[in-house]
Amino acid sequence: MHILIVGAGKVGYFLAKRLAESKHVVTIVEKDKSICTEIAKELEVLVVNGDGCDPRILEEAGAKRMDVVAAVTGDDEDNLIICQLAKEVFHLKRTVGRVNNPQNEHTFAELGVDIPVDATKIIAKIIEEEVSFSDFVNLMSFKRGKLAIVRVDLPLDSPVINRAVKDIPLPKDSVLISILRKEAVIIPKGDTILMAGDDVIALTSVGNEPQLLNLLVGKLE
Amino acid sequence: MYIIIVGCGRVGSELAGLLSSEGHDVVVIDKNPLAFQRLGNTFNGLTLVGNGYDLELLKRAGIERADAFCAVTNGDNTNLVSAQVAKKIFKIPKVIARVYDPQRAHIYAALGLEVISGTILFAAMLRDKIIESRFSSYLIETKELGVLEIEVKDNLVGKNIQEINLPGEFLVVAIRRLEGVILPEINTVLKAKDILMAVVKVSSLKKIRAKFNL
Repeated sequence: MHILIVGAGKVGYFLAKRLAESKHVVTIVEKDKSICTEIAKELEVLVVNGDGCDPRILEEAGAKRMDVVAAVTGDDEDNLIICQLAKEVFHLKRTVGRVNNPQNEHTFAELGVDIPVDATKIIAKIIEEEVSFSDFVNLMSFKRGKLAIVRVDLPLDSPVINRAVKDIPLPKDSVLISILRKEAVIIPKGDTILMAGDDVIALTSVGNEPQLLNLLVGKLE
Repeated sequence: MYIIIVGCGRVGSELAGLLSSEGHDVVVIDKNPLAFQRLGNTFNGLTLVGNGYDLELLKRAGIERADAFCAVTNGDNTNLVSAQVAKKIFKIPKVIARVYDPQRAHIYAALGLEVISGTILFAAMLRDKIIESRFSSYLIETKELGVLEIEVKDNLVGKNIQEINLPGEFLVVAIRRLEGVILPEINTVLKAKDILMAVVKVSSLKKIRAKFNL
């Protein structure tokens, strides 16, 4: 794929490096000339020095030929404008915008950024899970955070212990994917009985996460 | 009117003063609290410190009942984002953004945002002062003649210029599209989001407003 990255801070640099390693054709636009020189030396990517909010610079970087643009500068308004220009002027189908301030995520979505990525929120969520010693771990989210795969360690007092999967009233849009019992991996069927100490892995819509947790762990937080 | 102004630099503070002295309710937003000193002590509107596209701050500024919104900071992107938030999220009827960069100004104007570029205006005015024989595009409005800007909505889409013009009263002279400005011919067909520039007899204004639901 032809990928345009605007902003070569830590995120932009690391992203460009990874994408170039997986054989994508990467072009970077960066304001700071000394950063451009560094990157041109280190990575196999095309580097354009200039302001990515300027349509002329985007044109020079070959925006027309791109499959996707990732605007990852530290400025939310810049990222939003870059995505809009890419879409409206250069007709790109897919725009990814980094959201620095979680307050702006809604605005990004409303104003036409296809995929707003809110790094602050994602990191805060991971740290929150790590520090809260929860029995409940979000392994990954996808579909822009609408679906999640979660892991739940069934506590001794869990209401589902010694019950068959078919008798457990799972919330809507939730399904048990597998059960880790000591070394064994069990794919649950209707007659599988849950036991204390099981690690249950489930797919759920994020909206129903609390009900699922409530059902498996037996307490509402 | 209830008017929100984002940016309290020279332009923002001047505008706030003008509107407030005419009796309008004005709220001014700026990141820097010291900027409000420019308003002087006669200003009796509200001032709020913060970011012009912060949804919570805008709600506190009373945006849900605002009639007009102006983004006039010295940052083009801040103005473009704030104006779009006001227009698209809060549906404010009158939204204007100041944009320095002529190219971004053209693009966002073509996308239907009301944009004023001091750079374009001022350069054109200077040109007209220097080359006096040149016809001045910005002095066309007289007591008898006005220039109208009309965004093409559903009621005009698909019509051609001949169906729209009213000989002697109303004449479409240019159409602004994302691809650029075109000078229409009588069979040019209007597309959604086109911006029409039309010359109108002032005496026919009412008639034209009624005809196009303006």
